[in-house]
Amino acid sequence: MSKGNHPIEQEELMAYLDGELATNRAVAAAAHLEHCAECQELAADLRKLSQEMMAWEVEEAEVSGISTEMVKALDHRKRGPKKRTVGGGWSWRMLFTPRRIAWTGGVGIIGLLVIAIAMPNLRTRYDFNATGLAPTKQHAESVYLQGDSRPVPPPPSMPKLSAYDSHSRLRTNGSNMAKIAPGIVGNSDAARSSGGAEGSVGDEIDSSERTLDLPTVPMIARVAALTLTTKEFNKTRASLEEILKRHNGYMGELKVTAPADSGRALTATLRIPAAQLDSALTELKKLGRVEDESQGGEEVTQQYVDLEARLVNEKHTEQRLTDILRQRTGKLQDVLKVELEIDRVRGEIEQMQAEKKELSKRVAFATLNTMVKEEYFAKLQGTPPSTGSRFRNAAVDGYNTVVEGLISVGLFLLSAGPSLLLWAAILFFPVRWALKRVRKANLPQRHGGTEEEQAK
Amino acid sequence: MISDEALMLEFQRGSREAFEEIFARYREPLYGFFKRRLASKDRAEDLAQETFLAVIRAAVRYEPRALVKTYLYGIGLKLLSAERRRLSGNEPQLNDEYDSAQDGPSEEVLWVRQALEKLDAGEREILMLREYEQLNYAEIAELLRLPVNTVRSRLFRSRMALKRFLEPKQEAKTKLRSGIAGGEVQS
Repeated sequence: MSKGNHPIEQEELMAYLDGELATNRAVAAAAHLEHCAECQELAADLRKLSQEMMAWEVEEAEVSGISTEMVKALDHRKRGPKKRTVGGGWSWRMLFTPRRIAWTGGVGIIGLLVIAIAMPNLRTRYDFNATGLAPTKQHAESVYLQGDSRPVPPPPSMPKLSAYDSHSRLRTNGSNMAKIAPGIVGNSDAARSSGGAEGSVGDEIDSSERTLDLPTVPMIARVAALTLTTKEFNKTRASLEEILKRHNGYMGELKVTAPADSGRALTATLRIPAAQLDSALTELKKLGRVEDESQGGEEVTQQYVDLEARLVNEKHTEQRLTDILRQRTGKLQDVLKVELEIDRVRGEIEQMQAEKKELSKRVAFATLNTMVKEEYFAKLQGTPPSTGSRFRNAAVDGYNTVVEGLISVGLFLLSAGPSLLLWAAILFFPVRWALKRVRKANLPQRHGGTEEEQAK
Repeated sequence: MISDEALMLEFQRGSREAFEEIFARYREPLYGFFKRRLASKDRAEDLAQETFLAVIRAAVRYEPRALVKTYLYGIGLKLLSAERRRLSGNEPQLNDEYDSAQDGPSEEVLWVRQALEKLDAGEREILMLREYEQLNYAEIAELLRLPVNTVRSRLFRSRMALKRFLEPKQEAKTKLRSGIAGGEVQS
């Protein structure tokens, strides 16, 4: 098979049959395969070869369960970490190995460096200057770091990944609040700075809201696409629905088209539990010839963690605003501004919760874009119409043609008639004059010609 | 229901149930992998178990960069290579043991296995990984550390070679059928 005669190579044809060819090449391969007998023969050979190979089945293993060796290994693995923590002299020896000492020293130095770098930042960032009654920087800092029953609300106990972010956000929100309702926030801060029950507003916030629901495994949203060609469309569709049901999936979208001059086609977006995607794909691939297959995944762990951190922050802000509104009194204008701020924060929380839900859903359920195409067989037309019907149809067609022709002429005259009349009126006299001149010019010549002829 | 990779990570953190689930999913495929490549059924079972033992021991080092499927078959290939070295060329033919087994394989299966035996070892491995383990080109390439295009061309070559080796069977069958038919007509 030379490439001159075939737009696709044999290897590509094989890859196409394996569902391993890029979409653009797969389309070319499918188109070529439809009318090339040589390639059809090769494709049939390859399919037959696969079938012959699959005749070699392996019987089930006799040992079906986990062996004792594996059980021991699993137990040993489980006990392993405990041994290191339990014990007297042995654990002490383990504790003071040079390697551990080096690690501990290194971690300690890094920790000290981090604190040394972070300290000035904390000093400059912890700014409470909304009113003259705000606490001094030093006081606020000491309160913040000591973590006792402080009048200043503490930053939420976020994981280290987003602790800084959380703190900065809270601070930003605080300054926003100060801008929006200086009276209320200023009073609040003043009250907090003076201590007492009113100052512990932040402490009342449910601690569960401050802890992040971080994913323990990488979150991957899987997406796959599969294009199949089948001879038995109805059966394939039923099997597809059955496979979907068996794998606890659902159909996100379904579209079936049945054009007159080609086979039917089903386009569906299937949502399948991510863990069952592989097995479902394997089963689906058996429903027909695989034309195209692709798989992909998007890691959304970072996105999820960010969302979760923002959500916790916003909840905290909302709680704080609500408490301020409940416990403080101020100008009506300031109260209204705080209420508007609460509305805004609530809206953001709901939006983020919806995003989080959608993200989790994308991870839990893989998206499988499936297309099932029916192999098209041209059909002979049914019983031809009777002669009488054909005459009648011809007569109707003739009548329609006459009517259409008359209507067309009428329409033409109506549309072009005025213009034609105008041009006829304009050109009538010049043309007539020109004709007369021509006739006059021809008349003597004719007469002259006849005289000469007479003389001859 | 969670993915293989998530199960592996759970097992890494100490979940025994996660390991049992991985074991249930891959026990038979791994046994089939070894069984088709070794003559001894018992050794196939042993090596399948050893693969899981290796997974238990190396779970701490597992990183979810590759699929669990390719990770397991990677271990399987290494064990297989060690087993072949141990046998040091004295490995019996694939069908030797079946000859002595109670229920031997069918004629079709024997033809396929004999034809596979004739293939180049590297090309045979690619073909078997594709057909029996159902790995895609990229997974095979990752497993055997080959470029994907090389996998594709070798797979094609091996398929064409296998087709050639299987053709005499078809001819023999045809001749046999025509002979029987001729005999019936003559009688």
